[in-house]
Amino acid sequence: MIERVVVTGSGVIASMGAGVEEFERNLYAGCSGVGPSPLMGENAVAAEVRNFNPQPWLGNKGIRVLDRSARLLSVAAYMTLHATGLQAKEGAESNPDLGLVCGTMFGSLHSITSFDWSGLTDGPNYVNPGEFPNTVINSPAGQAAIKHRLGGVNSTISAGLVSGLYAIHYAAEFLRFGRATALMAGGVEELCEESFVSFAKTGVISKRGCPQPFGPDRDGTVLGEGSALWMMETAANAEARGAKALLEICGFGATQDAHDIGAFRVRGEGATSAMQQALQAAGIGPDAIGCVIAAASGSRAGDEMEVHALRNVFGDKLSQIPVCAPKAAYGEVMGASGALGALAAGMALAKGTIPPTAGFHSTDSGLMLSAQPQLLKTEYALVNCFGCDGNNASLVVKGLNQ
Amino acid sequence: MRRVVITGVGLVTPIGTGRELFWDKLTSGTSGIGPVQSFDTTGYAAHLGAEVKNFDPSGYVRSRHPDSMGRASQLAIAAARMAIEDSKVDLTDRDRLRIGVSMGTTSGEPGMVERYNDARKIGGVESVPADILPKYPCNVIPSNLAIEFNLRGPCLMIPTACAAGNYAIGYGFDMIRLGRTDLMLAGGADSFSRITYSGFARLGAIAPERCQPFDKHRKGMVPGEGAAVLVLEPLEDALARGATIYAEVLGYGVSCDSHHMTAAHPQGDGAIRAMTMALKDSRKTTADVDYISAHGTGTPTNDRVENIAVRTLFGERAPKVPMSSIKSMIGHTMGAASAIEAVACSLAIHTGVIPPTMNFTEPDDGSDLDYVPNQARKTDPEIILNNAYAFGGNNASLCLARVQ
Repeated sequence: MIERVVVTGSGVIASMGAGVEEFERNLYAGCSGVGPSPLMGENAVAAEVRNFNPQPWLGNKGIRVLDRSARLLSVAAYMTLHATGLQAKEGAESNPDLGLVCGTMFGSLHSITSFDWSGLTDGPNYVNPGEFPNTVINSPAGQAAIKHRLGGVNSTISAGLVSGLYAIHYAAEFLRFGRATALMAGGVEELCEESFVSFAKTGVISKRGCPQPFGPDRDGTVLGEGSALWMMETAANAEARGAKALLEICGFGATQDAHDIGAFRVRGEGATSAMQQALQAAGIGPDAIGCVIAAASGSRAGDEMEVHALRNVFGDKLSQIPVCAPKAAYGEVMGASGALGALAAGMALAKGTIPPTAGFHSTDSGLMLSAQPQLLKTEYALVNCFGCDGNNASLVVKGLNQ
Repeated sequence: MRRVVITGVGLVTPIGTGRELFWDKLTSGTSGIGPVQSFDTTGYAAHLGAEVKNFDPSGYVRSRHPDSMGRASQLAIAAARMAIEDSKVDLTDRDRLRIGVSMGTTSGEPGMVERYNDARKIGGVESVPADILPKYPCNVIPSNLAIEFNLRGPCLMIPTACAAGNYAIGYGFDMIRLGRTDLMLAGGADSFSRITYSGFARLGAIAPERCQPFDKHRKGMVPGEGAAVLVLEPLEDALARGATIYAEVLGYGVSCDSHHMTAAHPQGDGAIRAMTMALKDSRKTTADVDYISAHGTGTPTNDRVENIAVRTLFGERAPKVPMSSIKSMIGHTMGAASAIEAVACSLAIHTGVIPPTMNFTEPDDGSDLDYVPNQARKTDPEIILNNAYAFGGNNASLCLARVQ
């Protein structure tokens, strides 16, 4: 068993930035990507990747057959590979030592629905066989593997809104077992009519079109889209190839509320256990945590549940731990949220300050939130991801600045 | 690290529900393939399917009304309930945070997309009931298992298409091996869907009369549905409670062709990498393998590539290792397939009998591999490789063994 798994680079595309630099700059400036969403309709509000064009990263070859999820993921993978110098050489065979683990919630729902719609309206003999491959949920990960010649471990993980963190944990276990030496892991989610309508009808979307995580008059979440990946390697592999280890994956915890498919346990027992498991796996106590990247998305009940759970874990010390709720900036990105949160945690550990919560003005939660970056007191960050379907996951990461 | 064993199996398949009936039908070569009944195939280029007929979820789904979930979840709950009963494990006083669920699927709950589109066709998007798409995301399947049996540990879906069952069992194995959980329900589920069916029909991949894996005259696969769930637990726990142990999970491997979304790599590179990783993970070599449970869909391309992969990896020994495909009887149950096949492998180890490849008449291109044609065989296999390949180029091989 290999003990240490490290992060050596990342890639991201979201509403408030394409590429790590732009994303980080806007995240720390408190800019939000929530706004008009031409993709979802004239008056729609979402954290859309506006004017998304994958061509600068992916070129034109083979792009036409990729759906939006596959394009977003392939772009994030391109950035991650180039940031770490692991991109395939021109004309190279697929690399059996490089893989991809992708979290997603709805996968290629829009492609599936469109494919079925054409069969339903034009007749089954008129469905486009070229679009059939996009109807499998693992299609984005498969397409990105073809595009970037990734021949190693390839997996798609779905645990609803917490899929992204599960993917990071899954990749870490594969590296520990020696089944891989370098894996990209994270998540992808596209905005599409189907998931947009689905969420809108459940009443969890902010009517004001403004998510205010932990805010006293918050009225719901806003959906977003994007993809975020980490390059994860065994510490030995990173060292052997001279790559700088930026972060270490220390502990993961996951639970299911086993309560109701559309609801969580409001006192946060499952979320509490997930955080405690993550701390235990990392071999540290709550006092060692320097900041929390919260799951909060502006949901009335969801944010309250997280406050309960945080209080269960941190007790009276909670008010002294800087907290950031980055979904105020990039929205609820479903299967990619955990990965985006993990990237935000990595940025906080590297800079020594955690990002502001975009648009923050007040909270009655007792949490240490701010519209300004806050200083980090330790080298450990806790990333939370809790789903409205009862899935809970938490990750502890350590900054390796020395 | 802890050793992990299979102590309970439950399944719903086109040839029968439950361990005993399934195994009787499988070893006697019974086919579950017939004309599609769940929708009208007029206008489709194919008509054969492998459906689970007369399935009544009400006896299995007890925590809520079965209509509150899709068919794949119902099939999965039925399989899981049978698996738990089969294992005779008493969950009453167990720490629920230490019991998890990992499932595989190709399409999740595609019936919800069909209902969405049906409603949309009649009354537009605005008329679609609000409760349909929340039941769609594929992780509702393991979540429904968690709710049904009050399991609060890790709960995830690995939707790696037709290799998903092996992925899910592998993950469950890892969780127990590492001591993160003490019991896992792992398997796969897929429901019959016009979406999948129309895709395969349009590709011309569906067999017109029967499914004939590895046969010279094979004409295609047959889409199917089903679910299988395995109870995984640490060896020491199984021994302590005197459980029946069907098989031990030794290891697994996964890879990606990174070649084409639907066509396998022509030299079987990815398949070879997955088998190699599985054997290495299990600390075994090809010389140890007594039986291969093939992916064997019955399409010309898949079976040809699978032959090449096994030939390349096993070399001279390839003809001496029996390799069969039960898809000749149960069709291709998609994300459930490799989970159902893992159950078949467990029962092969437990009973000493390996299931046949049915409808076999003559080998392709003079192949001398042993496909266990048309008749089950008593070979007392000790170590088995279960292979699964999928759209997206995903490959997964699982290594099971008689517990020593």
